[in-house]
Formats: sequence, structure tokens, C-alpha cells
Amino acid sequence: MEALLIALIAGIGAGGLYAMLGSGIVIAFRGSGVINFGHGAVAGYTAYSFDELRETGSLYLPWFDPIPEFGFLKTLKLNNIPVRIDIFDNVAFDNKPNLALTIFICLVMSAFLGLLMHFLVFRPLRNSPILGKVIGSIGVFLYLSSMIVVNFGGQNRGDEGFSGFNNTAEPVRNFLGLGGTIPRSNFYLFGAAILMAVIIWGLYRFTKFGIATRAAEENEKGAALLGYSPQFLAGANWVLASITAGIAGILFLHKTQPAQIALFVVGGLGAALFGNLTSIPGATLGGLFLGMIAGGGVELTTNDWWPEILPGEGVRNFMPLLLIIVVLYLRGDKLPIRGSISIGRQPRAPSTNNVTIGVIGAVGIALMLSNIFVSKWESILTTTLIAIVFMYSLTVLVGFLGQISLVQWSISGLAAYTMIRLMADGTKIRDTDFALNTGWGWPTILAFFGAIVVAVICGLLIGLPALRIRGVQLAVVTIAAVIAIENLLLRNPPLMGDGSVSVNPTPKPSWFGQYVGGFNPDTARNDYWKFSLFLIITAALLGIAVANLRRGQIGRRFLAIRANERAASAAGINVANMKLLGFGISSGIAAIAGCLLAYKLPGLQETQFEVFGGLALLAFVYLGGITTIWGAIVGGCLMAGGLLPEFLGVHFESIDKGLINAVGAIGLIVNAKVTNGEGIALLQTDLVKNTLTALRRPPDDTANTSNDEEAVV
Amino acid sequence: MTNILEAKDLTVTFGGLNACDHVDLEVPTGKFVGLIGPNGAGKTTFIDAITGYVPTSAGNAIFDGSDIGELKPHERAQSGLVRTFQSLELFEDLSVRDNLLVAAYPTKWYTFLADMFHLSSKNSEIEERVDWALEIMGLSDASDSMPTDLSHGRRKLVGVARALAAKPKLILLDEPAAGLDTSESQILGGHLREFLNHDMSVFLIDHDMGLVLSVCDYIYVLDFGKIIAAGTPAEIRESSAVKAAYLGEQAGEIQAQEGERMRTQQQGQEAEK
Repeated sequence: MEALLIALIAGIGAGGLYAMLGSGIVIAFRGSGVINFGHGAVAGYTAYSFDELRETGSLYLPWFDPIPEFGFLKTLKLNNIPVRIDIFDNVAFDNKPNLALTIFICLVMSAFLGLLMHFLVFRPLRNSPILGKVIGSIGVFLYLSSMIVVNFGGQNRGDEGFSGFNNTAEPVRNFLGLGGTIPRSNFYLFGAAILMAVIIWGLYRFTKFGIATRAAEENEKGAALLGYSPQFLAGANWVLASITAGIAGILFLHKTQPAQIALFVVGGLGAALFGNLTSIPGATLGGLFLGMIAGGGVELTTNDWWPEILPGEGVRNFMPLLLIIVVLYLRGDKLPIRGSISIGRQPRAPSTNNVTIGVIGAVGIALMLSNIFVSKWESILTTTLIAIVFMYSLTVLVGFLGQISLVQWSISGLAAYTMIRLMADGTKIRDTDFALNTGWGWPTILAFFGAIVVAVICGLLIGLPALRIRGVQLAVVTIAAVIAIENLLLRNPPLMGDGSVSVNPTPKPSWFGQYVGGFNPDTARNDYWKFSLFLIITAALLGIAVANLRRGQIGRRFLAIRANERAASAAGINVANMKLLGFGISSGIAAIAGCLLAYKLPGLQETQFEVFGGLALLAFVYLGGITTIWGAIVGGCLMAGGLLPEFLGVHFESIDKGLINAVGAIGLIVNAKVTNGEGIALLQTDLVKNTLTALRRPPDDTANTSNDEEAVV
Repeated sequence: MTNILEAKDLTVTFGGLNACDHVDLEVPTGKFVGLIGPNGAGKTTFIDAITGYVPTSAGNAIFDGSDIGELKPHERAQSGLVRTFQSLELFEDLSVRDNLLVAAYPTKWYTFLADMFHLSSKNSEIEERVDWALEIMGLSDASDSMPTDLSHGRRKLVGVARALAAKPKLILLDEPAAGLDTSESQILGGHLREFLNHDMSVFLIDHDMGLVLSVCDYIYVLDFGKIIAAGTPAEIRESSAVKAAYLGEQAGEIQAQEGERMRTQQQGQEAEK
């Protein structure tokens, strides 16, 4: 009992971070109506900057030099976009720069990040539909996470923190006579969160800026008529939100690795929802509460009676999802939809008519790549194809049905792990395997479909909240589900076998007596041609099926629901059933992609299915075009590890993987603004169509001249 | 004669205010019934209550012989009680024809499989019905257009055509003529009586007194949520209660002023919601 109490109290440490992040998310929401999924990434980037500045004296600006340093470009000395600024000289272990100055510089930079987000992302997207805004904030998340990798290497840091936030300080022993120890810094984090909440609350309550923000929150047009520019207020709130994120990142640096801080946004979202997205004290309380129940939950799992099948880390990461679901269930439709001047229209989703011809073309290209460049391209080709298959699942769910689910990639992971568990028979599969996986020893095909069934059931369960909530709230639930599934279901030896906590070895798949795994024992590479053929066939058939779905009655119903749920039910559509159907179909396709990924690799790691991976896939299918299968195909080719970057990589010798994601994130945001998510594929089709129309029907006044030219020719 | 729709004692309450106050109303099978009343009288609320979009606090709605109070909106639509909306509530990402097809085709649990393999066959009866609905609303030429490419009035007609395509037993038209230009109004007005020849009854709400009086068999008048008069068009034309409430004659001037004040309040409350 004492141990549980101590764990609950100690939870105020992590709770402090959730509270600070939650408050920042509330500030940004009040200022602009956007729920920022990238808020944690702002904290993470600032935390890295702080550590880097203290250790090396250099500040890395949040961008990269896009001009590659090679060949004649190098001699032209064009690559002079400043990225690194050396601020402090002679930094050494015993000569660290001034702490206050360092913090100040880092907070100026996070304020600058806030300005950039406002002017480059959310202001341009202010009239976009909800999907566009969600994508914009995902773009921020991906971009900053990628810049962390590009500028700081994403390596672990050993920062001990400073003064009260130092992790080596003597812990508090026997707190309130309960025995046990609590890290001293937990109390400082708690105090910092409370102090921050009081200051922000006072700012909103008593200053003119705060009152104007609240006015604009109620009614943007009204505030504008009173002489307050909603966009100025939004910008100011973005700056404020980013500064709070920066503070949170710097204060929390000693507790975790800065790369992890970005993921704490999930807890921050839970805290913000607890505060109804509008209340700073509410968000702070919610964050502290979340930290405490997470700490207490983990403590419970150490008891003997606790079922082994629910691991501690899983319970910890399940808590944000639980909090979010409970809050959304209780509040239901009463969560505020912030007043804004206009809501833009959804991306068009035209039905694809000549799908067979297109798919045959794509198959032809894929076959050429697999045959001609056997050794070199096969692995890249299969990565691309698996991504394409996965992206179809988003085409159906996000593109057709308009349900913003961020969890589909976790469904893929769940299917892959389930399949491995069903197939495994306890024998060592490869000499290199670390773990012997035990399982049920099912035949390949049976395990494949068994995994799909499990994934579909899980997908339907996740779809249940979608019957009550929609839009960005669903995105929040599903991003919380990502970390819950990863830690509760995948990293779970009793459930998924011993391999699930390290590298989970895939049993060799054979369909109808043919080995179709990607790993080729002859070359010890992932380039087995039968696997490529298997994938090409699967991707082609699924592509045709998804395109057919759009043309048919169900596709029309999906689009009807996406456009107008009220009118859809008046047309006799059972909206709830159709949404579940969409989640089911999408999860089935995602499951196939997950199983195929397991076929490709000799072993899987659950980190492949964490938040970043799923968001990157969503980013690239959105870039390609979320509403058509061509978008999925383009998106698969563009993504990191896909065909196009690899081709370029060969030409430019080496391209940083982080850079591809960063460029993709920029493309994503630009795409959200320019094509509204219709993407490169549809833009391309439009261009071709317009050009053809222009060629066929020349305008009357130019008709004569063109005739003359023909005569001359 | 049987009634396709009966509202008995139907009451809808919004925060203490009765938007529909013990409304008794009947639509005989195969007849054309109208409901008129000033702004804010509760006409649209009545349709919303009948079709399941707002909860009723008392009373029953009986459609085609059975109480539909427990049914969800889509179930009511599937049973043949189809409505249109006062505002444009179209599926903007679907072509005009697809808008109609959505409502016209039923789906089964396995339809998605048939769709994926492109096995769903066209049903000639349904396709003909869709063609008819497009034609009667003068939309045959716009079949493949997107709704956003049409004029406001024609988009409203798409909404009516979509309801017709659903093969309703009773079609509830919520101000279909509002926002239509003269020619579009004529298309609508000229064809409304034709609906009756296709096995359906019609229930019409509109502001256009001329339209309602010319097409309806029977008319109810609603004011402040209460039915204040009912009768044939000729009777309604002569009713002094209707004149007082609806037209603001001198006899009802004081009442009308009072009514205006209350209506403003009511609208203010609705706007707050």
C-alpha cells in the first residue's frame, strides 16, 4: 500500500511534463483551433538544442542546408545557408556556458519555432478542412523529429540536468513517513508545472492579450470587427505555446532521452483533453493525474497477483489512451469546436475508371525492376510495394471515409506479430536468431488469415470510438492507441513470444509449397524473386479491389458519409455500420501489409511500428494523394526506403534518411495547402487532362494562327 | 382511408420552450398535405422529430401503421419515410447521379466484397427510377456534373431528386422552393402533384403560400409550435386565425407584435444552441 502511494506521488514528475505539454497544446488550440501533434517535437528539439549548446557551444537552427556539397556545387560555394551557429567558445567539461543565458537562447529558438509554425504551416492552412490541419501538425512532428536526426544525430545524451532538475541529486527519502524514495527532481517538475499554469492562467485572465484571445476563440469574426487581428493573436499564442514546450523539454531533459520527448505529446494530448482543450488549470490537473495513475499502474504490475500478460510499460502507455477515451466518452459531443471563419472542402476523390490499364502498367514497371536489376533493386522494390499495400488502407479509411486514423500501422504490426506467433513452432529458424519463438505451429496460409482476423477485430474495436467522435478527436484517440498497442500488445513476451522484446524472428513462409519469404539464403539478402512476384500480384489485386470499391455502392456511401453524415443517414445509410466496415476493410489491408513485411524480413522489431513510422507513411500517402490508389502508388515510391529516394541516393552517393522525411514533411505541408490532399497523383492527372483538353479544343482566336503554322510546317 | 403518417400529441422541447407543442397531424395515404407557418413556428423541428433528428419529449409518430419512435434516422429512411433538407445537404464529392444512386441502392453486408471484385450488377428498375427522378427535376443534362458546378436552386432540386430516388412512401419536403429562381420554381411546382402518381404521399413545408395553396389537398397551420388551423386550401385562405398569425392582419396586430418579440427571443435561443 505504501509502495503504491509512493508510486502515485512519484508520478507527479512525469505528470509535470504532461501538464506542461498539455497546457501548451491548450494555448495553441485556443489561439488557432489546431491540435498540435508536433508539440512534443518542439519540446524535443529545444531539449536537444539545450544539450548541444551546453556541451559544444553550438546552436543548430531548425533547418538543413538543401544544397548538397558535391561536385561543381561545392566549388561554387553555394552551400552557405547557416545551420550551425557557434555561440560559446572553449566549451569543455569543466567550462560549461552560462546556464541562464543558455536557457534564454534556447527559449528564443523555441519562440522562433512557434513563429515558423504559425507563418509557414498553420496560417496558410487556416481555411483547410480538419484533415489538412491535422496533416499540417503531423508535418511539424515529422519535420522536427527528422531535424533532430539530421542536426543532432538522434543519439542518446547523458545530460544530468541542472540544479533542482538534476537526476543525480540526493532523492527524498521516507516522504511523509511512507518509506520509499522519490527523486528530488519530481517535486521540482511538479512545482514548475504549477507555476507555469498559474502564470499562463493569469496571463489569459488579466491581460488584454488574454481577453482578446478568449474573444477570438468564441468568435473570430467578432474579434476581428473589434480590431483584434485573429491571425496576430494566433501567432502570439503559437509563440507562447512553443516557449512552454521549450521549457518543458529543457526541464525534463534529465529524465529521459530528448528523442523520446516528442512522443510524450500523447500524454500531453490526454491532459489537454482533460482540460476540455480550453482550461489551463484543467490541463495541468489532467497531466498530473495522468502521471500519477501511470506511475501507480506500473507499481501495481509489480505485484505477484498481477497477470503477467499485462506488462508494466504497457500499462504505463495504456493510461493516456484510457484517460482520453474516458474523457471523450463523458464529454462526448460537448467538446468545443472552436469558432473559425470557414472550414474548407474535402479533397476530391474521383473514381478511377481505367484502373486495369494503369495497374498493368505499374506491374510492368515493377516486373522490370525486379528482373533487370535483380541484386540491386529487389529489396527496395519490395519495401515500396509493402508501403503501397499499407497505403491502400489509408486510402480507404482516410481518403474515402474521411476518418483520420493514425493507428493503422500499429494494426499492421499487430497482424505481423500475431502471424509470427501463430506460425512459430519453437524451433530455431536461423542461426542468427536470438530468441526461440514458441507458438501454435499453424501452416502459413492459416496463420496469415488468422492474423488478419485478429487485426480486423482490433481495428473494429478502435473504430468504436469513431461512432461517437469525429475529426481531430479521432486522430487524438488513435495516436494514443499507437503507443498503447506497441507497448501493451507487441512488446509482450507472454502474449507474443520471447522474440517480441528483441528481434522477433519470422518463420519461413510457404504458400502452396513455394517459399515466398524475402530473405534469400543464397545471397543472405532480402532479394528473393518469388517474394517480389508474390508482392506484385498482391499489390496489383488489392489496388484494383480498392479502386473497384470506390466505383461501387460502398465507395459512394463512404464518400457520402465523409461529405455529410446527417444527409447520409437521411438517405438511408447506416452511418455506424459503414464506419465500422471502413475500419474493418482498412484494418484487413493494413494487416496484409504487416504480414508481408514479416515475410520480407528475417525478424521484426516493435520499434518499426511506433508513432513515427505510421505518421511517416500517412505523410507520404497524403503527399501522393490520399483519395486515389495512384496516390498510394506515388506515395510508396516517394517515401524513405522507397524507389525514388533510393534512385536519387545512388546518384548523390548518399542521402540522409532523416532528410527524406524532412523533405517529405515540407512537401506534406505544401501539399496540404496547394492540392488540399489530392496530392501529386491527382495534380498530375489534372495537368494531363487540362493539357489534352487544351490541345483538342484550341481557343477560337488562335485557331487560325495554328492552322497557318501547320501549313508552314 | 388509411393514414401513411400520424403524429399524435407530438412534443419537442428545447430548454423549456416547446418548439412543437402537442401536435396532432395526419397525412392520408396518397394525398398531398402541407404545413405552413411563420418563421420559427416549429415546422422544420416537426420534420426533424418525425425523421428522428431531434428527440421528442412526448407523443408518438406512426408511420405506415407502426410506431417509429424508437427507430434511428436511417431506419426511418429505409422504411420509406424520406426527407429533404432546407439547407443544401448534398454529397459534394459525388456527381449528381451518384448522389441519387447512394439513396437508391440498398446494400447488404457482403456488398463490399461484390464491389471489390466489381461483381455488383446494375438493377434496371433502380436505374430507371434514378433517371426518372433526374428528369422530373430537370437535371438530366447535369447527371454527371458535380453539385458544386450547379446553381443554388438546381442543387436544391438535386436534394429533392435524391429523396425521390430512394423510393419513398412518404416524402417530406422542407422548403424545397426557397432559393429557387422562377424557372426552377416552375419545374418544381409543375411536377409536385406528379409525385402522387408514383405510389407516394407528399408532405410539404414552404413559405410560398401560393405554391402551398395550389398543390396541397389539405393544409395545417403551425404557430408557436401549435396547430392553429387545418383545412382545405379554400378554408385556410378564409381562416382569420391564419391571417392573424401568418399574414399579420390588423385584427391580430397586437398579437403579431407580441409574437415577433417572442420569436426574436426564440431565434436568439436557437442561435445560442
